[in-house]
Amino acid sequence: MTANSNLIPSLLGLAWLLPLASFVLIVFFGPRMGKAGKHAALVATAAIATAFALSFAALVLWLLQNPLSAPNPGGHAAERVAAESAKALSGEWYALGVFGPLRIGIGYYIDSLTLAMFCMVTFVSSCIHVYSIGYMHEELSEVVDPLAPLANGQPLRRRGRFCRFFQYLSLFCFSMLGLVLAGNVAMVFVFWELVGICSYLLIGFYRERTSASNAGNKAFIVNRVGDFGMIIGMMALWTGMGTLSFGDYRAVDTAGHRVTLPGIFSQVRPAETKHQLQVPDGMVKLASRPQIERIVLAHRRDTRTATAAIAGQLRGWRSQGLGYGLLVVAGLGIFCGCVGKSAQFPLHLWLPDAMEGPTPVSALIHAATMVAAGVYLVGRFYPVFTPEVLLVVAIVGCITLFLAASIALTATDIKRVLAYSTVSQLGYMMLALGLGGWLAGILHLFTHACFKSLLFLCSGSVIHACGTNEMPRMGGLLKKMPYTAITMLVGCLAIAGAGVPLLAVGFSGFYSKDLIVAQALSFRASNPPFGGLFFYVAVIGAGMTACYIFRMWYLTFAGEPRDEHIHHHAHESPKVMTVPLVILATLSVVAAWNLFGTGYGLQPLLEQARPVEQSIAHGVFLPGVTMPFEHEAHVPQIHTPAELVAFLAALIGFVLATAFYGVRKWDPEDARRTFAGIHRFLVHKWWFDELYSFALVRPVLRISGWVAACDQRGIDWLIDHLAISVAAVARFDDWFDRLFVDRLVNLVAQWTYAVGLRLRRLQTGNVRQYVMWLAVGTVMLFVVMSLYWNLALAAGM
Amino acid sequence: MSLFDFNDPQVVLTWLLSLIIFLPAAGALLLCLVPGKDGWCRGFSLAVTAVVFLLTVWLALPGGQGGLPGRFNLSGDQMQNMVCYAWIPSFNIFYFLGVDGISLPLVLLTSFLSVLAMWASWPITKHVRAYCVLFLLLETGMLGVFLSLDFFLFYVFWEVMLLPMYFLIGIWGGPRREYAAIKFFLFTLVGSVMILVAMLMLYFASDLNRLTLDQLIACRVIPPLGAGSTALVTPLASSHTFNLLALAQLGQSGGSPFQQILFWSHSLSWWAFVLLFIGFVIKLPAVPVHTWLPDAHVEAPTPISMILAGVLLKMGGYGVLRICYPICPDAGYELAWFVAGLGTLSMIYGALAAMAQSDFKRLVAYSSVSHMGYVLLGIGAWSAVAGSQYDPHYWQMAMNGAMFQMIAHGLSSAGMFFLVGVVYERVHHRNLDQFGGLFARMPVYGGLSMGIFFAALGLPGLCGFIGEVFVVLGVWSYSKVLAVVAASVVILTAGYILWTIQRVYLGAEYKGPHAEALKPMSRREVAIAAPLLAFAILFGVYPQALWNYITPTVNKTVTVMANWTANVKDHSPAVQEPIQP
Repeated sequence: MTANSNLIPSLLGLAWLLPLASFVLIVFFGPRMGKAGKHAALVATAAIATAFALSFAALVLWLLQNPLSAPNPGGHAAERVAAESAKALSGEWYALGVFGPLRIGIGYYIDSLTLAMFCMVTFVSSCIHVYSIGYMHEELSEVVDPLAPLANGQPLRRRGRFCRFFQYLSLFCFSMLGLVLAGNVAMVFVFWELVGICSYLLIGFYRERTSASNAGNKAFIVNRVGDFGMIIGMMALWTGMGTLSFGDYRAVDTAGHRVTLPGIFSQVRPAETKHQLQVPDGMVKLASRPQIERIVLAHRRDTRTATAAIAGQLRGWRSQGLGYGLLVVAGLGIFCGCVGKSAQFPLHLWLPDAMEGPTPVSALIHAATMVAAGVYLVGRFYPVFTPEVLLVVAIVGCITLFLAASIALTATDIKRVLAYSTVSQLGYMMLALGLGGWLAGILHLFTHACFKSLLFLCSGSVIHACGTNEMPRMGGLLKKMPYTAITMLVGCLAIAGAGVPLLAVGFSGFYSKDLIVAQALSFRASNPPFGGLFFYVAVIGAGMTACYIFRMWYLTFAGEPRDEHIHHHAHESPKVMTVPLVILATLSVVAAWNLFGTGYGLQPLLEQARPVEQSIAHGVFLPGVTMPFEHEAHVPQIHTPAELVAFLAALIGFVLATAFYGVRKWDPEDARRTFAGIHRFLVHKWWFDELYSFALVRPVLRISGWVAACDQRGIDWLIDHLAISVAAVARFDDWFDRLFVDRLVNLVAQWTYAVGLRLRRLQTGNVRQYVMWLAVGTVMLFVVMSLYWNLALAAGM
Repeated sequence: MSLFDFNDPQVVLTWLLSLIIFLPAAGALLLCLVPGKDGWCRGFSLAVTAVVFLLTVWLALPGGQGGLPGRFNLSGDQMQNMVCYAWIPSFNIFYFLGVDGISLPLVLLTSFLSVLAMWASWPITKHVRAYCVLFLLLETGMLGVFLSLDFFLFYVFWEVMLLPMYFLIGIWGGPRREYAAIKFFLFTLVGSVMILVAMLMLYFASDLNRLTLDQLIACRVIPPLGAGSTALVTPLASSHTFNLLALAQLGQSGGSPFQQILFWSHSLSWWAFVLLFIGFVIKLPAVPVHTWLPDAHVEAPTPISMILAGVLLKMGGYGVLRICYPICPDAGYELAWFVAGLGTLSMIYGALAAMAQSDFKRLVAYSSVSHMGYVLLGIGAWSAVAGSQYDPHYWQMAMNGAMFQMIAHGLSSAGMFFLVGVVYERVHHRNLDQFGGLFARMPVYGGLSMGIFFAALGLPGLCGFIGEVFVVLGVWSYSKVLAVVAASVVILTAGYILWTIQRVYLGAEYKGPHAEALKPMSRREVAIAAPLLAFAILFGVYPQALWNYITPTVNKTVTVMANWTANVKDHSPAVQEPIQP
């Protein structure tokens, strides 16, 4: 290993730890950093900006070591196999626990995807840190919070928490970077939970508001439901493979030999099968335990022959499909975690509520980075997913995409429109990944991070100016806030996928969305009966996206002001907020472009990290499903129609939005009345909150009530009554004692006494009388004895 | 051999271990005799607990063999630092002490929590001298339980600990203290009686003649050759023994004397296991014998709750780990599903019950039931069977996780009870619906509470996570169903912890009585809570600090039982090794 390749992990490690250092500093010294903790923002921003510089340096180093191959969209899978497998650095910094061959540690797995994520996360974070300095400035002084009323009706007055905000932000950056850097699933899970708790803390930043603390709880608990699935996936992987690390681990065994312990990827796609999916030995063995038990018991004393016999049977067991189910469970479990984190159906409902947090938080955590972590993990885990799992991913993504877009069409809260839009776009990414479009999904993750954080920051700027989230009270802000309006328009164009079809020039969203729609079409081509559904939903989704996003823009910036008071007070935000907007807007345009005249750009960079595709991508449980190669979607027969249809759909959406809200040709009220039922359904968000409350939350609370009652009225009742009955027995015993035992004893005593009294009369002092009694007694004794003697003798005969 | 020959390491060790156990008792005696003001009593007791803590720290300092006496050999997986003297020779009862990786962390936890709990006793003003005396006696009992290796001695300490606890709850407790104290006492006594019966069963069935000379020496039934020529083999009074190590050797041997059928076609070993298990599990506690715990906790004063949750519950887990499994592996193997199932049941049941509580302390008490369920689950996950080719590693992981969980829970639950006590002392109520806004009023308290509650929630980076995740990951190899059910507890835990945080710390304002009393934490209070959080973070971020002590011993314990499964359990009697005379 060269010196350079050792430098990259160190650089990223440093970039990862800097925000932690900033967090620790602010925890202890935050309030003392300048007036009201003002300089805490500088500490946090400096940390994350330096982290970006380090990440970028690492990326440059990486590109020097691994130059990008020429962009090769039509390239053949087989060519890539040799070139691209094992282009990753993996290693371990220290162990959390070691048990024989099993080890869980804190380490890294670095490929070009990691580096791209690092640069994206640190860059967007830096922008948002700068923006927050402006957005959060009122936290520097005493805050009056009308949304947290006191019992006496007065609004709450509290001290500002400027430095605490940046403290949490730093902790989040640390956790997010750790998640991206993670070298094994356990470490992913560690940081998965940590980003969750940061999200909880930041959603509940206005902790005095009940709605905020409820939203925080909801976010964390719903995520924990996903994590429950993820733990199951981890257990299956861990028990089936004996490792959780992605890459191979080089160690020295007890005999001092250097050994390479295969990681998850090389177990699932070993070199012997040319990196094709294969159920690992451990999983086969785990699924064949009854058979193994028979063999082991048959070879009682000889473990060596038993091991040999098992090894001989392994191939047969595998061909019977033993262990494949475990692989599916592992994949589905990991995906469950992603469903929670990326707010996919059916766990999507925490994200809109999470908008209770300050807007920069929504931009950073709930748009660009944390919610995308689920997509990232699916991308990272791609080699482990079987076609069945991928199909589930696609179905979930498809449902989410449609569901969220439909709700976004009717939402009136500007942040909620964006939140549902985020859910919908994440659904797009999942759909792409699930249909075999690895690059399409991952590329959309990056482009979405740029334009969605931009859109959120713009909405923050609007909210900052208007003091409300409700779009019906805005309108006509274009002149008042030109920077915000224009940059937001750029964001809207980017998310709608604006571009020139056939020339392949457009905003960043254009490239990624085209790839997704083309992949869906390609899937339809190889799976005729049902595969078309994904394509249609993707196209309809493109139309809905354009429609809701322009509806939002028109309602906010176009037309006449609907609330004079708000309009009057509205003003453009300070430079510290608009400069990040301009930067992100630029990025939203160019993110997916290659550098002029070179093959360098995001797509080729990500292409380098592409996992090896399968040559036969049929599932075992679902043999009818075929995952198409991604390069097949690049052929003109597929790509061109997809491009045109997507463009057309977006255009229709744009025209509809313009007609209703832009030029007011049609009245949205009419449409609302005509489709009153559907409108109600959408405004109530498909009644998911009510459904879950009825079907899950309340039953759990009821059961917990029963359990507590069982304790107090069941077990304790039993114990108490046991004690009471023992006490009753004791009382009975006492009564019995006095009434019978004592009385009997007393009776005997009295009787003895009485007899004694009687006998006393015999004691007369008359010697002759005594002698007579003696004689009579002796005679009586003889008589009795002789009788007894005779009887005894008679019995003896 | 003179007891004052301090050049002899064995003598130094004897003094060290005996001082650790009996210094608190001596302190208690002194307190009885010497008059003094309340403040002096507290200060003196705190000093005694601090000295004991320092002595136990010495015990934990890593050192190799041949180093200073008493230091711990990290690479050793056997019992270390053993001292053994005849106590009641006619019944083969010895004053036999020693530490290994299972007992040492618990000893340290005990002495550490004793210091903190004593310091947390400052607000107690009723009969201070008596309180201190009982507290110190309690500490002697607890340390004795963890250090003794003679079953009889263990039992004596087990009982010694019981009485002070009864009085500490019954005199210094809340309104229903008599009820709680007697409930605690009776539950534990039932358990004690079962342990006593099992102990006598094992004693009279044991036969030292079946052990080899090496085994006898390893168990210190016979002193090691050459160590003190005067103590050469003294003839034993009988072949029965209370020596826990010897009993374990006997229990694990093929054709063990404990395998004789007792009645209902179950062996003596099986019955002993059941009796011991019930006795220990009452202490742990597991459902359905846990109901003494919420009452005892609610009524006990804060420092006693800390000790109760932090140390006393661990004795149950320790007993199962030290006595049940090594001595009666036969029944452990057969009843593994029961042990693990009971653990899982406790986890779910405790979490659900916690969710329904409106008393802050009761909630924390039920969370203890839930968290201690992990311990039972981890211990019981006997996955080293023929189907896995006797692979011990997953079970090792689960059992290590269980051991870690005991320490982690000791820190987090003691912390939680202390934090509840802090606010109870100010506002004199514990109704969860009448709090709110404490974060704003007591920021430092809010921050510390968040940390410690998150540790209980099992947040990564804090100690609770490591124990839980290692147990759960290790269990799948034993039973998928139990693993999945156990994993689902993470949702419930998040639910009740977060709702508690919301009701107590968040919100616009405090909703209960005595709002004026909500002063920020005093320095003393911060100094008690902060170390707990610091250790929770340390063990969460760098668990190796604890694994170094735990793992060798626990791995050895599991390996021995895995080998026992392969060599004894899965072999028909015909091919068993002949018993060496």
